Amino acid sequence: MSTDDLIETFRAQLRDDPDVASAVVAIRVLLGFLKQDRGETIQGLRSSLLAAIDTLSRVDSSVAVSSGGELFLRFISLTSLEYSDYSKCKEIMIERGEIFLRKVSLSRNKIAKLCHPFIRDGAQILTHAYSRVVLRVLEAAVESKKRFSVYVTESQPDQAGQKMAKALRKLNIPVTVILDAAVGYIMEKVDLVLVGAEGVVESGGIINKIGTNQIAVCAKAQNKPFYVVAESFKFVRLFPLNQQDVPDKFKYKADTLKTSQNLTEEHPWIDYTSPSLITLLFTDLGVLTPSAVSDELIKLYL
Amino acid sequence: MPGAAERGSELSEQIEAFVARLRGGGERPRSEDTARQTLSLLRKIIAHGRWSRAGELMDLIRTEGQRMTAAQPSETTVGNMVRRVLKVIREEYGRLHGRSEESDQQESLHKLLTSGGLSEDFSTPYPPLRANVIEAINELLIELEGTTDNIAMQALEHIHSNEVIMTIGYSRTVEAFLKEAARKRKFQVIVAECAPFCQGHEMAVRLSKENIETTVMSDAAIFAVMSRVNKVIIGTKTILANGALIAVSGTHTLALAAKHHSTPLIVCAPMFKLSPQFPNEEDSFHKFVSPQEVLPFTEGEILAKINVHCPVFDYVPPELITLFISNIGGNAPSYIYRLMSELYHPDDYEL
Repeated sequence: MSTDDLIETFRAQLRDDPDVASAVVAIRVLLGFLKQDRGETIQGLRSSLLAAIDTLSRVDSSVAVSSGGELFLRFISLTSLEYSDYSKCKEIMIERGEIFLRKVSLSRNKIAKLCHPFIRDGAQILTHAYSRVVLRVLEAAVESKKRFSVYVTESQPDQAGQKMAKALRKLNIPVTVILDAAVGYIMEKVDLVLVGAEGVVESGGIINKIGTNQIAVCAKAQNKPFYVVAESFKFVRLFPLNQQDVPDKFKYKADTLKTSQNLTEEHPWIDYTSPSLITLLFTDLGVLTPSAVSDELIKLYL
Repeated sequence: MPGAAERGSELSEQIEAFVARLRGGGERPRSEDTARQTLSLLRKIIAHGRWSRAGELMDLIRTEGQRMTAAQPSETTVGNMVRRVLKVIREEYGRLHGRSEESDQQESLHKLLTSGGLSEDFSTPYPPLRANVIEAINELLIELEGTTDNIAMQALEHIHSNEVIMTIGYSRTVEAFLKEAARKRKFQVIVAECAPFCQGHEMAVRLSKENIETTVMSDAAIFAVMSRVNKVIIGTKTILANGALIAVSGTHTLALAAKHHSTPLIVCAPMFKLSPQFPNEEDSFHKFVSPQEVLPFTEGEILAKINVHCPVFDYVPPELITLFISNIGGNAPSYIYRLMSELYHPDDYEL
């Protein structure tokens, strides 16, 4: 499969299925790549996969694609350790890959089931930008006959908050769009903050759309619970200690990285929220405190 | 057979009696007694109940467990014991089924990537399962007996000479803890009386019988005295999954005062009080009793114009707690999730 084919397939799948997370699409494309691979050795497979992941991140340099790719590589290594015969190994990999994709398609529903009891009747919820997982959680809360209202931040520069507000109005949830700068003002009226995440880092902190850190700090100052909902394939092996530690390839879009002369002139798209500001993380592995996240990552990668 | 039918009806009578006793809630039952009674009842159900496969047994235990927890939701030890038994059944089944001990039963990213199929199906019948499960439950009962002693044994590491310790209300675990330390060290104890039931008085009487210098004071004076206190040691009713406490009313005030003065707050509680629930809308932990204690019925005129509440329990968030001392040692609140994964299986968190 040539690089152009790969990019085309990835773009096409993202277009056709806007509801699926980009990490899942990346894994699906990589699985397809694996099926078509003509190599005979694990090493060969690994190097061609690394090249494929590199290609994909040049299209979409978000944290999610990176974590999906790394997870897939880990998946290959784990399976290859068990079976020495290459063709048998490849068969098992393809089978397990399909099972994995099936399981992750259920993960949003699992998270919604875990999270919606935390939304009380009459609650005022604050959320940030556009998150499909948060949308699913709020849908589940509506299905269980709860009444609540939502404040969404406008989320510049791409006004993702307006998209979220439109989707919420379709579910008949009373929603108010507020300025990003109005978070401190609105925080006293809010009962809980619920955000999604693009990546969950080893310390238990999250990487999410720019503005999340501000909301977390305000929530902490006013003693409001700050909940994060994220699927487990978003766990990534990074340990940033501050905002500078987050790699530039995640902060800026792929095109900007290629064309811009001076990155300090550009506005970053994401920021890092530290684990001390997060109350609980809802994942398909269960409800976790931030300290439990590193445990999960250790179990996988070491 | 008439024998089996008789045993069957006697068993359901015992279950009914237990449920009624839980619901009645006259005097405050000791958590350890409740745990022991629950385990004995579950052991009887396993021994005499009609089941042939592990799956059927688990459904049976789950149904009975739901009934028992519904009777008195604030008695979380009942639910915890049911979940322990379910985990025991899963383990024994796994052992007989030939699965290695290593295979992690927990959901994890690793399992997500490497598992070959979807969930486990407990349908193969194994005759030795009954005996194995009953033996495992007997081991649990023996473990239960030793919890207070295990906690008390750690007392000398935490209490030093000439310290001033503060506690609230009456906890039998803390009583044993302090008595054990008093055998070798000299220290002072201040007991907050914990209105309106004033169980602090009973605690003070028992401690002074062991020649420990004890002072009783009202709850209002907690903050005032806190600057002279070295450590706060309390018991609790339940430990929640995020490391928070459901403890006797007044504990949150004590915890906030301790945090303000940077005084360490130590919680002595055995592991059977650890419950996999999170504090959320299903706040069934709240228990309200007769407001007679707060404002007696003789004040009829005033009572007609106001609302009086008498809550029994308080919620203490995990940031205010320094250390948990349990029968398996000392742990930080952020580590509770780990202990939970060792005691219970995630599918059993929702009974």
